[in-house]
Amino acid sequence: MEWTGFALLILVGVGIISTGLPAMFVLITAATLGAILGVASGVIPFGILWALPGRLINLFDNDLLQALPLYVTMGLLLDRLPVADALYRTSIAILPRKPSAPLVSGMLLGALLGPMNGSVGASVLGLSRVIAPRLDAEGVPPPTRDAVIAVASTLGVLVPPSLVLILLSDAMLSAHTFAVTQTGRSDRIINTQDIFHAALAPAGIFVVLCVALAWMAGRKAKAPPKRERLTAQQGLLAGFSLAALVALLGGVATGYFFAVEAAAVGAFVLLVAGIITGRLPGPVMRSLLHDALAITGALFSLLLAATTFTLVLRLLGTDRLVDRLIVAIPGSNILAVALVLGVIGLCAFVLDAFEIIFVVVPIVIPPLLIRVADARWVSVLVLLTLQSSFLLPPFGYALMMVRGAIKNPAPFKPFVRALVPFLVAQWLLLLLVLAVPKLVHLTDNTDDNVRPTLNSVPAEEIDRQIKEMVPPAEMPKPP
Amino acid sequence: MTVLRQIDRAVGAFLAVMQWLALPLVLLLFLQWPLRDIVHAYSGQANDLGQIIFALLVASSVTAATRAGTHLAADTVAQRYSALTRHRIRQIGTAIGMLPWALFVLISGASMVIPSLREMEAFPETYNPGYYIIKLALWLMATLVLAQSVVDILRPFKAGER
Repeated sequence: MEWTGFALLILVGVGIISTGLPAMFVLITAATLGAILGVASGVIPFGILWALPGRLINLFDNDLLQALPLYVTMGLLLDRLPVADALYRTSIAILPRKPSAPLVSGMLLGALLGPMNGSVGASVLGLSRVIAPRLDAEGVPPPTRDAVIAVASTLGVLVPPSLVLILLSDAMLSAHTFAVTQTGRSDRIINTQDIFHAALAPAGIFVVLCVALAWMAGRKAKAPPKRERLTAQQGLLAGFSLAALVALLGGVATGYFFAVEAAAVGAFVLLVAGIITGRLPGPVMRSLLHDALAITGALFSLLLAATTFTLVLRLLGTDRLVDRLIVAIPGSNILAVALVLGVIGLCAFVLDAFEIIFVVVPIVIPPLLIRVADARWVSVLVLLTLQSSFLLPPFGYALMMVRGAIKNPAPFKPFVRALVPFLVAQWLLLLLVLAVPKLVHLTDNTDDNVRPTLNSVPAEEIDRQIKEMVPPAEMPKPP
Repeated sequence: MTVLRQIDRAVGAFLAVMQWLALPLVLLLFLQWPLRDIVHAYSGQANDLGQIIFALLVASSVTAATRAGTHLAADTVAQRYSALTRHRIRQIGTAIGMLPWALFVLISGASMVIPSLREMEAFPETYNPGYYIIKLALWLMATLVLAQSVVDILRPFKAGER
């Protein structure tokens, strides 16, 4: 029955594409089918399914997941308050008066607001509203405009403390704990902060590459940007916002704040500012909270569904099959990591980043971390792959969101052509990090005891440990 | 149909109240930092109360997402189907997926929720009261999903529906 899990995964992919149903519905339906098959064939004792409520309650009880509603609320506040607008206008006023300036400003805005927006969807909506009309006015071709907005919206995935980064950190923490327990290694379990630090250098490189590409793409614009008169109020707002954002991002990066606290501080400051300035009257506040609840629900329900689905996969033994397959990959660790990233990349054609974090990462990463000890390196590579998944045609979430959010979207093929240089830069960076693991260790503390990448566990030892593994699903008492 | 409409309205009204929980959640989690680093007290209480509010908020949010249509979905292919076909697919998906899942969570969760309620279980680390509300949130989530599923399965197709 181990292979049934793979059939269920394929069923999920086909079901999501062909039915148009929410991923949550498809995952839960596939899990139900898998559970029925498992119980009917005697592989899954019915009583063990009683483990599900305990696993779901763990999600309600998770400190880190409190960041979900906070980031969603912050993203909606940034969209409703004039912060993004003031930052964009100020950036245009500061940059040289070249045709590329609006595109570069858009990219910088994405890098600055993306992490605080929390989700790629919120970034797409915000950037589409603020910069799309201005790029149109500057004569930027629609495919370039859409490509820049899509890429800028995904910069928040890499730049700490983004929501994707937080959720991936949680998944990596579980995977690393499992791997360290199974191997008996003495590595310190990685936490959110470690992954934040590890992602800083690759994120910086990618932002620089994107700004350079935006500058080059902007040369096709017909006219230099119009100098809009910057009011003192806008300049002040931009200055205050920039200082607050840098303080929050810096506070998280240096460990002064926890990620959840940073999100809470950001959301609180924006809420108070919105209320004091009268920009959040009753109906606007009601609509904001309604949207916050609905978007939080979209993400949280995916977690619930993925928890149910992965429990069934574990009970069917698919996780042990994946363990054996990963151990059996011949050659170096780099090849094993590249193959697992390839699988995640293939999943990205049909699943979005959140679905991959909740469904695929818990299955493929624990066995990979048993083989490859450098959890930070693997985390950043997964993060880069996920970022790529947002931009991967035809189903990349950012692409679909941009086409939905912009009133006059560019035709799909020219849009993808405009996107190609950014995708190539992204994949080159992925290859660079794959080949040079030191890139993620530039900010390591000296007392960190994570083993370097090539100091791997011997294959025989991994084989022995895998054989000793017990199913991770706990055995509750039957009712 | 009247009963169905009443369930639908009751769920909508309940969610409209629950959405305001986002405000105390932001406030409590914001307060954690000054309480921990400046006041040096009550940070644990703020955290536990925030956890309770978080549990109730996310328990309600699943059904809020269903009603608002914000669930993550890839409808590139499905948008070519007729509105009636999409309505039927959704009814079937809800009937064979969400409804039995919500029922199973309600039934299997009883062995965790009821004892916790009886004992008025406290938070294991801080001993602050109210941990049973987090377990109760599981039932709240399942009940709302169940009610919404019944509404979605039995709701007749309306012309002009997307």
